[in-house]
Amino acid sequence: MAQEGLLVSAFYLLVFTAMLIIYRVVRGPTLPDRIVGLNAITTKVVVIIAVLSVLQQEYYLIDLAIVLLMVNAVGGLILAKYMERRGND
Amino acid sequence: MIEAALLIFGGAVMLFGALGILRFPDVYTRLHAATKCDTGGAMGIILALVLMMEAPALVKLKFLVLAFLIAMINPMVSHAIARGAYKYGVKPKVVVDMYAWDNP
Repeated sequence: MAQEGLLVSAFYLLVFTAMLIIYRVVRGPTLPDRIVGLNAITTKVVVIIAVLSVLQQEYYLIDLAIVLLMVNAVGGLILAKYMERRGND
Repeated sequence: MIEAALLIFGGAVMLFGALGILRFPDVYTRLHAATKCDTGGAMGIILALVLMMEAPALVKLKFLVLAFLIAMINPMVSHAIARGAYKYGVKPKVVVDMYAWDNP
């Protein structure tokens, strides 16, 4: 398709931004900072999967993206509840 | 044409969100940058993909469902993380913490 180059560029840009955030996940310095970083990376990975599915014309990948988004939401909520409990100790 | 603009817009917004996560001073401002930019950027890119692709309507519907879910879920998770961070003991670097007035 005509926009293939544009999609490939978008793919690389998203991968690059996800790698930028790895610094925040590793460095922190606090647990909430790491959770914010992980959450952001997962959202970008969801979009990367969507872009890949259009590039490769493999549309079943969108189901993977939806499931990954759900898992990310549940994980984020669990970690938030964990932080809340830890704060009360 | 419009899909190219949407794609570029979404990518730029996501890049700015990543820079915000790197540069902002505390977890609450980072959360603001992460959630707003990722949600807006993700929806922009997915809408661009929907306009761009040649696929049956069911597949396009799935992409739109994904965009809708991102719009609903990201803010919810960010609120939960902010609340958890506050109760975890991470105080915002602000002059006036009005949240503390209502939540001693």
